[in-house]
Amino acid sequence: MTQAIFGLLFFVFLILPPVASLMESIMIIHMHMQMPLLVISGFLMAPFFQKKLPAFFEKWNQIGIPGIFLFIIIMSYWSIPRTMDDALTIQAVEIFKFISLPFLVGVPLRDSWAKISTVWKNITFIIFLILFTAMGILYIASPDQLCNNYLRTEQVTLGWGFITMAAAILIYLVQLLFINPADYE
Amino acid sequence: MIKNWRNMVAITIVLAFGVGLFFFGTDGFQAFTAETARTKKLLEEKPQFPNVTLEDSKERVYSFSEFDGKYVFITFIYTACTDVCPQLEMNMNEVYEQIPKEFIGEDIIFLSISFDPEQDDPKTLEKYRGFFGSDGETWRMARIPNQEELDSLLNEFGVIVIPEDDGNFTHNSAFYLVNPDGYLEEVMDYTKIDEAAETVRAILDGTEE
Repeated sequence: MTQAIFGLLFFVFLILPPVASLMESIMIIHMHMQMPLLVISGFLMAPFFQKKLPAFFEKWNQIGIPGIFLFIIIMSYWSIPRTMDDALTIQAVEIFKFISLPFLVGVPLRDSWAKISTVWKNITFIIFLILFTAMGILYIASPDQLCNNYLRTEQVTLGWGFITMAAAILIYLVQLLFINPADYE
Repeated sequence: MIKNWRNMVAITIVLAFGVGLFFFGTDGFQAFTAETARTKKLLEEKPQFPNVTLEDSKERVYSFSEFDGKYVFITFIYTACTDVCPQLEMNMNEVYEQIPKEFIGEDIIFLSISFDPEQDDPKTLEKYRGFFGSDGETWRMARIPNQEELDSLLNEFGVIVIPEDDGNFTHNSAFYLVNPDGYLEEVMDYTKIDEAAETVRAILDGTEE
């Protein structure tokens, strides 16, 4: 339960207006720091919900697939250039960001990850590998300024951030083929 | 499978939610960047061009209503800009060249508006004008000296200007066409010169008949 309390405190810290606006002032920090940290805060808060509503998770996320789908959908949504601009200019979208990332991504991810099979885990990694590679290419190669609130140089930086993450996922997936973790246990 | 009906329901709900989210977040899968959303909204709303006071490269001061009864082809620029503005103005020049001469000055006026009134005084604009084949009459370059008026215009037209550290600005660019009644008529992609010229010509031809 202490974990859930830390998660809550962390969440409150992240949505404090000065903290939020500082993180949102730099494009890559907005997308690759603030958003993942919000997910992590939800991840930490998950045990609270799992304890309070065990029947809900057991009934509606029994095999973990709905939760993983929700996780993938919301993450994809927040990687659209438009949504970052909207979060900065429309208050309701900003609030939706603060709610959706912890509670519709972090919480279901934690609940689902423990339930889904290795195959589904790898499928999830592959989906993000494709998504991040595509987004990286988009943000780096686009001749246009995709976000009205951010400069094009920041956009290229963000693109390389995506490529870096995609590379990390790729390395992880490739090592799965060659390394059997059981050999090291 | 019977036992898993809840999973199917949950998956369906999640997917439906996802489709709905993307649908509303992108104006029906049409606007994936804020810029396309902005253009789309502008064309739907067709706002009135605020009656701002302009000061042009010939140091003449007049309000926007000076152009009543004429179409006005507008771009937003600043002269210290090194990347997109010269491109924007060169493309504007090409559109200008493609419009039949009988319309120029009579039915349509070209206007480059600077959003950097501090640096872009009439003298600077006069010099800049020369680079792009603007004659200062049928294609004018002007600044809006009043910052409040400028801000309200940029806001109304959704032009977002981000000042950079080195005195430059980043901004979203487009061709704007304001109709003789002073309302926004078209927002055009500034990289598609022929398309823009064709659109403007068709509108001008329409007024002839």
